[in-house]
Amino acid sequence: MPLKTYDKKKDHDLGIPLEDDYFYEEPEEIIENKDAPQLESTIQTVTQRAEKIKKRVINADVLVVGAGISGMQAALDTADKGYKVVIIDKTSTIGGAMVKLDKTFPTNDCSICTAAPKMVELSRHPNIELITYAGINNLQGKPGKFKAQIWRKSKYVDPDKCTGCDDCAEVCPVEIVNPFDEKLSTRKAIYIEFPQAVPIVYTIDYDACIGCGSCDRVCEPEAISFLEKSEEIEVNVGSVILATGFEVFEPTEMRKEYGYGKYDNVITALQFERLLSSFGPTEGKVKRLSDAKIPKSIGWIQCVGSRSEQLGFPYCSRVCCMYATKEASIAKEANPDIDITIYYMDIRAYGKDFQQYYDHAKDLGVKYIRGRPSSVYENKDKSLTIKYKDTLTGEIKEDTVEMLVLSTAIKPNEENKRLGEALGIEVDENGFFKQQELLTDPIQSTREGVFLAGCIQGPKDIPDSVSMASGAAAKAVAPIKDRERHIGKEFPPEKDVKGKKPRIGVYVCHCGKNVANYLDVEKVTEEAKKLPNVEHAEHIMFVCSEDSCKKIKEAIEGKKLNRIIVAACSPRTHGGLFQDTLMEAGLNKYLFEMANIRNHCSWVHSDDWDAATEKAIRLVRSSVAKARGLEALSEEEFSIYPATLIIGGGISGMKAALALADMGIKSIIVEKEKQLGGRLTNLHSMFPSDTKTEDILNPIINKIKKNKLITVMTDSELDKLEGYIGNYKGTIKQKGKTMEIEFGTIIVATGFREIDLKGKYEYGKNDNIISQTELETKIKANKLKEPKNVVMINCAGAMEEERPYCCRVGCGVAIKNAKLISQKYPKSKIYMLYRDMRVFGKEEEEYFAEVLKKHHVTMIRYPGDKKPGIILDKKDPKKGSVSVKVYDDILNEEMTLPADLLVLTVNTEGGAATEKLKNMLKVPVDAAGFFIETHAKIKPLDFSTSGVYMCGAAHYPKNLVDSIAQAEGAASRAAIPIAQEKMKGEGIVSEVNEALCRGCGLCESACAYSAIEMKPHPQDPSRMLAEVNRALCKGCGSCAAACLSSAIEQKGYKSDQINVMIAALCEKGKAK
Amino acid sequence: MSKKLQGNLNLNTIQLKKGELLTEVEELCGENLFGCYQCGTCSAGCPFVDEMDLSPDEVIRYIILDRKEVLNSKTIWLCSSCFTCAERCPRDINITKIMEALRQIILRKKIDRTNIKNITKDEKETIPQMAFVSLFRKNVG
Repeated sequence: MPLKTYDKKKDHDLGIPLEDDYFYEEPEEIIENKDAPQLESTIQTVTQRAEKIKKRVINADVLVVGAGISGMQAALDTADKGYKVVIIDKTSTIGGAMVKLDKTFPTNDCSICTAAPKMVELSRHPNIELITYAGINNLQGKPGKFKAQIWRKSKYVDPDKCTGCDDCAEVCPVEIVNPFDEKLSTRKAIYIEFPQAVPIVYTIDYDACIGCGSCDRVCEPEAISFLEKSEEIEVNVGSVILATGFEVFEPTEMRKEYGYGKYDNVITALQFERLLSSFGPTEGKVKRLSDAKIPKSIGWIQCVGSRSEQLGFPYCSRVCCMYATKEASIAKEANPDIDITIYYMDIRAYGKDFQQYYDHAKDLGVKYIRGRPSSVYENKDKSLTIKYKDTLTGEIKEDTVEMLVLSTAIKPNEENKRLGEALGIEVDENGFFKQQELLTDPIQSTREGVFLAGCIQGPKDIPDSVSMASGAAAKAVAPIKDRERHIGKEFPPEKDVKGKKPRIGVYVCHCGKNVANYLDVEKVTEEAKKLPNVEHAEHIMFVCSEDSCKKIKEAIEGKKLNRIIVAACSPRTHGGLFQDTLMEAGLNKYLFEMANIRNHCSWVHSDDWDAATEKAIRLVRSSVAKARGLEALSEEEFSIYPATLIIGGGISGMKAALALADMGIKSIIVEKEKQLGGRLTNLHSMFPSDTKTEDILNPIINKIKKNKLITVMTDSELDKLEGYIGNYKGTIKQKGKTMEIEFGTIIVATGFREIDLKGKYEYGKNDNIISQTELETKIKANKLKEPKNVVMINCAGAMEEERPYCCRVGCGVAIKNAKLISQKYPKSKIYMLYRDMRVFGKEEEEYFAEVLKKHHVTMIRYPGDKKPGIILDKKDPKKGSVSVKVYDDILNEEMTLPADLLVLTVNTEGGAATEKLKNMLKVPVDAAGFFIETHAKIKPLDFSTSGVYMCGAAHYPKNLVDSIAQAEGAASRAAIPIAQEKMKGEGIVSEVNEALCRGCGLCESACAYSAIEMKPHPQDPSRMLAEVNRALCKGCGSCAAACLSSAIEQKGYKSDQINVMIAALCEKGKAK
Repeated sequence: MSKKLQGNLNLNTIQLKKGELLTEVEELCGENLFGCYQCGTCSAGCPFVDEMDLSPDEVIRYIILDRKEVLNSKTIWLCSSCFTCAERCPRDINITKIMEALRQIILRKKIDRTNIKNITKDEKETIPQMAFVSLFRKNVG
């Protein structure tokens, strides 16, 4: 009984409108039930659909193409400033590649748990219109006046009616390979990509659907409509941000020697990631594909397709070393008996905390072997034998592993060429999008008004993508800055719950398998139901998903709930999301409580089902006890002073100021030196384009000087700071004079410096031993004499006990300087002693290979435990030539190299002002003196103290391109409060009971945020009284704890609220 | 302190000045040896590597370090020019050509120690004819 006939027209995918996607000959309903009303309604539907054919036109401010982590960040950053955003994605959901990952390095944070709140925030944002399953076909116009043609493919499911119940997928007879699971599982022709998909609307895969109508028959809300047509939408915007991401190389044609596609148990790293994922095909259990056995040994081969000049891609994919390390550590932690080996060429642990993460993996027992395997063959038991040379011992070996993972290259999207043509922008020889100016304007595409974010112009990790996306948001605002802004979300008026009987709703989250696999969620729910005042309790797969939040709202309405408890993960990540849900339903957001049964039960007691369940029951019980006494709290509103203070006038600080000025925001740059420019002033040129630093600096400094919105204060430093976000007052010291300035937000761009080697490598004892910076200054001043033999030692003072981190920029700088010497003095022989060559990403790797080939730099790898030794000349230790003893790791022998120039690539640390700033700004700093961000992955530019942001090398050493992307990103972050003009403070603040306060001042000294001040009592001036500044108070509770007369209570955490929680926790439960 | 190599060629007869080995090899084979990342792929895939005194990647390393004793290595004569290394090298370096270049440096000095008379009857019967053909072809360039 075929319902329809149609030709599968490829045009559908190409985005060319068809006459009709599905053509009914005789709709089933009409045959079965021929009475008139049915027919009429069908006609009505058809007429309605016909009306829809009229092209929809959306007027907005910014269009974002691609809704992965970069696109989402760019959209949120723009929308938070009050501009209207349209964001499209070619898949039926948002989240991109990040949601496919299990965890993220180097913090091992759950990937979906950090991405999902952003996805939900995006879909709920009043300024964002989300269009999924859509692509862009054409872009006309100029900045400020673009007209984009969007082609939205039909999902054949009405998004307003679909509840995401999964009934349709259950009956669908078609199974196809699931691209979301990297082809490891199948999915139906009607599907959602993954359980937390946003929007949670099913989609019919047009190419796979056989049109049987089964889904239509079972769909209770009647959401399925085969008449739903694909549509063309016209979007008028001022600027466009492109963030369409990347693809991963599949080694079927190239690199066949590793057996991918031929042997069952050879998989790609992204497939392994799906195996680890709790919502992957094996629900988080690593199993062999051939026989579902748990492998006893796993191997990883690095650089499959990357760093290849033959077949493949010449660039380094930047993330593989770390994701392989992450995957290996997770597998090893889950099963310590498993044998794990990673075959590598160089381990590129270049980022913040990466080296420590790599060292930790080695401590766990992950074996690292330097050698690129030559071939792989399969044994009878489906295990795999790898042939390789351990280049550090010189042995040719064969290893057998039960599973083999290939760390395949990140490659540009196949679609980039078409997209480039549609948007009128250029792609490079690899297929990545080109920047207008690689070094100084990395976010600008080759067309004005179109900006690039994330992996579309080269491989990148998540924090670098996120920083860049924020930067793109800053740039995209420039052409539309004067348009009307729309701030804030309208919430329904709050219901008054004062004096009303508590009616509590409890929601227990499975968190996929994260919670449900380790404790009995059903029992927790049942126990919660028995508690007094609990009117409703249920357990849900993902309480944070959009449809679950809808359920909570409905229950608040329907069951008249006035307190909500979510037993799931941490309120730090998810609390805000649920509070928004409460506000949408007309409840004060402080009538909410979270019980963290994931971190506190399923994670820490993963080996004890009963105890974990019992603890979860008690945590829920104590939350219920507290919830009974919860009260509605109000938040203080305060205004924002419209200017930003930028500390540091290096390239990052200057770029941030320019980005702010482009958005129409004033800034003040405070620079301690006589002139702007920072470290760049002393350097000669920047790689990979070998641009002279003056050619980079001069145009920027000129622009800054001309810009009326930027005030520059040189020879100055920030001496004192008071106030809080939006209302800062700073005292600036300039040449002995002091002056006061006002500003609303702060960007820290204080950069980095080389460490003091304290005489290591005989530094300071001989004139021929210098650092890379000194070398560049010499070259710049034309004072370098022709050296005969140059030796460079990388990692001086890095990756050792005292400073366990990698300096990220050293390898690149050393290579560039080797080139500079060789260009000037071609006869000089250059040796470079290194530990791992960390020239990561696109451009750097190619630059490195080019310099080796053209300038014949001899590379010598030395082991970390055998550092090179320096021998000074006996006759003339101060000025004579030196010799360097080095152990060659590859040939396993010691060599002695003569050197009349020895250059040390010195490790780096935070800038000189760090210590003072840390205390003034009340922000954290790590052991190396670099500032610590709120979240290593998704909030790399923010401090936990609101209103303060960071960029450039103050965060961690960075090359120019990454620093600029971060600077523009920090400008975007710092502009958000200013664009909003007003902000709200915390509801959870301290409150002084004036009758009890003795005026002793203990609380004032206990407060770390200077939020308490002692003032004379208004009625009785002889008595002192503590006063809380509600905007500054962070609700930490220190004052309440310090107060001897119990005169201070912290709202939301009052003594009686905490007492009932403790009582409920200790109460002997019935459940065993 | 290089490895002990098995050849007994008098290196003085080759007359290579300091640094000339690399230029000579690059000129003969047209490959840029400095593109090598020392990953070991060539060595691991080489069918004769067990018999070699220097593995193919070590040969490249020796040339880069200007160690003329590489000419005394058995490796360059054991190489059967099967091109497996060249096929798999991610840096697109044709190692087979490098081996040939090293052999040529010696052969062009008219040093050829192939002595057909020394091949025993037993060897003549067991070694495949193809091997002899390859050997002669290799040794006359």
